[in-house]
Amino acid sequence: MNYTAKGPGDLKKEVLDQEQCLSCGLCVGMCPYFKAIRDRAVMIHSCGLKEGRCYRVCPRTGVDAREMDKTVFGGERNDQALGFSRGVYFARALNPEISRAGQYGGVVTALTAFALDQGIISGAVLAGGNPASPETALAKTAAGVVSCAGSKYTAVPTLSSLNRAARDGMENLGVVGRPCQITAVRKGQQADLENPGAVPFAGSAGLLVGLFCFWSLNPEFYGYLREKSGNNELVKVDIPIEGVTLTTTVGTATRPVDEIRPYIREACLSCIDCTSEWADLSVGSTEFDPAWNTLVVRSGAGQSLVSEAVEKGVIEIKPYPEERLPILRQAALNKKMRVLEGPEGPGPGYITVGDYMGEIRKQWEVLQK
Amino acid sequence: MSIFAVALDQPGRSVVMTGNEAVARGAIEAGVGYAACYPGSPTAEVLPTLAQLGDKFNLYAEFSSNEKVAIEGAAAASFAGVRSLTICKVDGFNVALDFATAVCYSGTGAGMVIMVGDDPSAHSSVKEEDCRFLARTANLPVLEPASVYEAKEITRFAFDLSEKIMLPVVVRCTTRICHASGNVTLGELPPLEKKAAVGRDRKFITNVMFAPFMKSKLKNAAAMADTSPFNLYTGPEDAERVVVACGVSFAYAAEAVEILGLGGSVGLIKITNTWPLPENFLLKYLRQAKEVVFTEEVDSFLEDGVMTLAAKHWEEVSPIKFYGKNSGDVGGPRGPYAGELDPDIVAGCLGKIFGAAYAAPEFPRIKEAWELVGYSMPGRELALCAGCPHRASFWAIKTAVELDGREAIVLGDIGCYTLGLVRTGYGLLQSVHCMGAGVGLAGGLGKLGRFGFNQPVVAVVGDSTFFHAVPPALINARYNQSSILCVILDNETTAMTGHQPHPGLGVTASGKTSEKVEIESVLGGLGIPVAVHDPYDVEGTVDVVYRLLRESGPRALILRRACALVAVKGRQKDRVYVDQEKCAGDDCGCARFCSRVFACPANIWDGQREKARIDEAVCNGCGVCASLCPRKAIVVERTV
Repeated sequence: MNYTAKGPGDLKKEVLDQEQCLSCGLCVGMCPYFKAIRDRAVMIHSCGLKEGRCYRVCPRTGVDAREMDKTVFGGERNDQALGFSRGVYFARALNPEISRAGQYGGVVTALTAFALDQGIISGAVLAGGNPASPETALAKTAAGVVSCAGSKYTAVPTLSSLNRAARDGMENLGVVGRPCQITAVRKGQQADLENPGAVPFAGSAGLLVGLFCFWSLNPEFYGYLREKSGNNELVKVDIPIEGVTLTTTVGTATRPVDEIRPYIREACLSCIDCTSEWADLSVGSTEFDPAWNTLVVRSGAGQSLVSEAVEKGVIEIKPYPEERLPILRQAALNKKMRVLEGPEGPGPGYITVGDYMGEIRKQWEVLQK
Repeated sequence: MSIFAVALDQPGRSVVMTGNEAVARGAIEAGVGYAACYPGSPTAEVLPTLAQLGDKFNLYAEFSSNEKVAIEGAAAASFAGVRSLTICKVDGFNVALDFATAVCYSGTGAGMVIMVGDDPSAHSSVKEEDCRFLARTANLPVLEPASVYEAKEITRFAFDLSEKIMLPVVVRCTTRICHASGNVTLGELPPLEKKAAVGRDRKFITNVMFAPFMKSKLKNAAAMADTSPFNLYTGPEDAERVVVACGVSFAYAAEAVEILGLGGSVGLIKITNTWPLPENFLLKYLRQAKEVVFTEEVDSFLEDGVMTLAAKHWEEVSPIKFYGKNSGDVGGPRGPYAGELDPDIVAGCLGKIFGAAYAAPEFPRIKEAWELVGYSMPGRELALCAGCPHRASFWAIKTAVELDGREAIVLGDIGCYTLGLVRTGYGLLQSVHCMGAGVGLAGGLGKLGRFGFNQPVVAVVGDSTFFHAVPPALINARYNQSSILCVILDNETTAMTGHQPHPGLGVTASGKTSEKVEIESVLGGLGIPVAVHDPYDVEGTVDVVYRLLRESGPRALILRRACALVAVKGRQKDRVYVDQEKCAGDDCGCARFCSRVFACPANIWDGQREKARIDEAVCNGCGVCASLCPRKAIVVERTV
């Protein structure tokens, strides 16, 4: 597939104007023509180029799943539900401060802060701030990472920080991102392999910590949060199956999950990756025990970080309960099937699954029984 | 020449000066005591010349906040017995017109002259306009010098005429008179003593019942025009072919008649009193003429007047064929109603009309020059100066508007920032009319909500424009609660016309200090919330503009940063250069942002190295490009 044959005009026409932008932020600041405000990426001026990196790295302009597996992991996947993995665990942070601030077991915060402390990464690209007014952050200390803890649920265009960091000459940055953001960074690395130096940020990205994500919410959600939290400062948002849990300085309230469905980003409906399949590590909820996270260890780099973190007592892990694994896998496959074959959407133009399709269907059917 | 020539006390000596200086000298010779002006090209240099000589010649000269205030101040001096001059460009005369159409009824006292600059081809204007129609509407006589020499003579004469007929007199100078230099014969300098007083019994009242008296003054003016030495005829006494010309077009016509060898058969009439016309003087030649050609610039004012005169006397004049703008026979490449004339154009037109062969002269060196550059010299695009803070403001406003995404409308007006209209101003502006018009238009758009209008509305104005014309529109927006954002691009000068001071600067035309009128205080007094930001901080400016776009009601933002040309005066510029190791050239993906899109004239493309470069001779060291370069390849070395 020749990705580079298209440019910013096409990106605007095919992605931005079609509500297909996932607000990953990677096109933002790579050149002077893309900017973001809150969760919206905008082309502010047409540079006039027919071909552009903006189109090349966008997670919505074509991903060949099999090619990406080869680029990232050096082979094809067996598990169509979760992608490559070296192990799936229950995990949680051992530092109580981190557990309290982080989402569920606080594993993302703990591992990212640990990687910074160990010098494995020089900084971390994160979504910081309050859930009602999150912002792009570049943490350079463990404390900085902890201050960004907690899920945001909206699409903060954090990857713009990678471009900024590249501009500032930084290297080896950790990225904590949604599946689309992990895909975007990997697309950039892929482009850089083909044409070294073409994508400035490619050299800046190091460890990729992916989040589980079934959808993100559009910026109207901020208005909802402000309205529902009244005059009280919002501390944390969680969206388990039971409903939307809003924790403010005065207490916690749960609201029906249907209230937020209208805020789901259009583009997220056609995404088939809910576990950040091309990350080094993926972390999500367990949908079972709120004190723990699900941790998928994918790459060698991910594996060694987790081993070291366990060894140094930063996190603890335990085997994923056998009876829970099919539930996780089924959730992931359901989403893929809904998008690839279901009536919900036209099917994703952005991704090519090729002969993975037969396997996806087969593995899904197995779980149905 | 210089201010020195204007001040010289050597009657009879011939010295070189510009048309604007000649007008100043004419006023000084006439004993002017009060001069007021809002700067406008092509007449902007008259007032500073007088202001510098204020103490020497015992005269007061001010830059007024606008032309209406200027003309009123000048009229006041006239009422008090002090000769006065007000200077404006034709656009400014529009502003002064309300008073002008009234003062003709009340009449004036001491001689009062209004110098109006018309700008054919709109070299430093957005449009062409003919001030003579305005003067006629205001019942004020018009005199038109045809040379720099005459600019001085006629200005001095205009004061005498004004005093005789008790009306202000308009002296119309076009750009080629104002900006040309020529020989002027110095006259006597008057005594310096002047006395101002208005007797309790003197009244200056505008009332329709004075119309007959006012019209009789104009009749007197016409009678005086008949014997004025400034209206001339040259050529055979019985010429059947006549060219009627005024202003610099007279010089073109004279040259054309000579080039075409028509001097023996074609008569040439120079009209200085283009309104009211020297009727008897003209009729003498119209009676024998069979063909009459008009050469004048901007509109067919003289032509219409003479044709009307011929129609009034149709039984005396033989049938005449008229050639001019009306017939379409006299005009340049853009037609009869647009663009300047020149000797070549006039010779071409006269040649066609009179059947005389005219071949435009060839300039072999021009061809040679083209061959040398391979016929590939790029056109010079209109652009803001290097380091202009407006460029940074425009990029920031454009960015904020795009980020806002609700199709905000951006309205402008006239000033340096009119360039927000063109490619190098990112095509930001959607309207350009006259000073302050953007704010009035914005106010109107801001009230269209009931008809479904929901776009944010932004008006950009300059600081000098703010004082000139903006407060009434803002008061209206505030009072009627129109939702607009007024952005004041405060470059701390009246830049376009040559850096004249204005009320926000704390210095007057004569260089004396005065307490500033703070734009913030004015806005505060109007109850309009105001933010202030430095446009060189583009990122911060984007944030402020974006935030203000999301708010509603009348609101204002001052983007304050001194004009780059003023800022670098008298100090060493910061050095800005491209680190070509860091610049990725065409591999960057920015598509040559700095030199091609941001389009500061100092950001250039190094064709040999295929990297960006700074033209350090042009660069004013603002460093804005460095803050926007995606590779951080532009380095700023601060001098202090």
